[in-house]
Amino acid sequence: MKPLNTAQKQGFIRCHDCGNLIKSTTEALCPVCGHSVTARKPHSVKQTIALIISALCLYIPANIFPIMSVTQLGVAKTHTIVGGIAALIHSDMVPIALLVLVASILVPLMKLLGLSLLLLCVHYQWQTNARLFTRLYRVIAFVGRWSMLDIFIISILVALVDLGGVAQVIAGSAATAFAAVVVLTMFAAKSFDPRLIWDHQLSYE
Amino acid sequence: MYEACPECDLLLKPATPEHGEKAHCSRCGYLLQRPRKHSIERTLALSLAGLILIVPANLLPMVGIKIFGNSRDGTLWSGVSALLKEDMWAVALLVLFSSVLLPLVNLVLAFLISLHLYLQKANVHLIRWMRWLQHLNEWAMLEVYALGIIVACVKLAGMAELRFGFGLYAFIALLIVNAMLSNELDSYLFWRRIAQLSKKS
Repeated sequence: MKPLNTAQKQGFIRCHDCGNLIKSTTEALCPVCGHSVTARKPHSVKQTIALIISALCLYIPANIFPIMSVTQLGVAKTHTIVGGIAALIHSDMVPIALLVLVASILVPLMKLLGLSLLLLCVHYQWQTNARLFTRLYRVIAFVGRWSMLDIFIISILVALVDLGGVAQVIAGSAATAFAAVVVLTMFAAKSFDPRLIWDHQLSYE
Repeated sequence: MYEACPECDLLLKPATPEHGEKAHCSRCGYLLQRPRKHSIERTLALSLAGLILIVPANLLPMVGIKIFGNSRDGTLWSGVSALLKEDMWAVALLVLFSSVLLPLVNLVLAFLISLHLYLQKANVHLIRWMRWLQHLNEWAMLEVYALGIIVACVKLAGMAELRFGFGLYAFIALLIVNAMLSNELDSYLFWRRIAQLSKKS
């Protein structure tokens, strides 16, 4: 196999923002866009770990506390995320229930587990499946924003269904926790540097 | 001159794909380049169209409901203000940013950048704008919001009468324009042109 070279080994750094290739030792700022020059995202692993742990902590209140309360004809019911999905299944809206299940439970969990797996891969310098791990990273980065679905649904329902005791939807405290989980996991995905997966791959040297 | 793959740092000879072709990194498969025909002109046109559409999409009612004779109309903003009224300011801010402010900021940035590139006019802020556009892009979530509208409507359809306003049609048009915009904007080309322009001045 033809030996492959990375920019870092040849003494080059790719600017994070504009993609310009810079000789490592000469500049502190990218001559094209002025962004500070680092070979890898600084403190990538530490930052990702910190953000994952914070997101995990908030994931608990997000699931325990009610995400919204629905009043219909004077009767108030509170729903957690899981309870809301169960209610959807009960009222024969299975496709919608699946959509909410994917967006608000599976996607955040998949992001937290996936990023942890990527961190393990970097830490233990796993030699196999680098391409697969990179693909996992791309899926995580792409899918993150779709978790906002539940938050948007709540904001629309809260605005529309506001008729006092007759019919009213009120957002619950879990909404804030869940929104924080979405934002934190998005930042976690952003702070992870996928090049770390490739840096320790011996077979590509 | 070489370039490096942003996701695996492989040193590569810059590919020169034709319009409509794609250049992938040979090691990790990252999409390096995806040149588009008339990328700058189309970005300019689409961002202008988006800036026009975002006004009715924000101001006109999108969905209205009628329960027991009481009717209410909802705009993009009413969700934010209803959440604020309930003291959920963090969620309200997040919704405000991701569904109203950042889509607007992104359109303005795309318009300004493509206008300057089209007129070949250098501007000291051009680089900053392009960086902002790259970083803010993923925080504008119009398409997620659209899915939210669909789900909310299906949920409400059982208990209330729904009405769709002109704001919703403007919003759908904005969504399409936005998707086309991100498809036509060739950031590889944009960065190269920006670098050329700032070198000249």
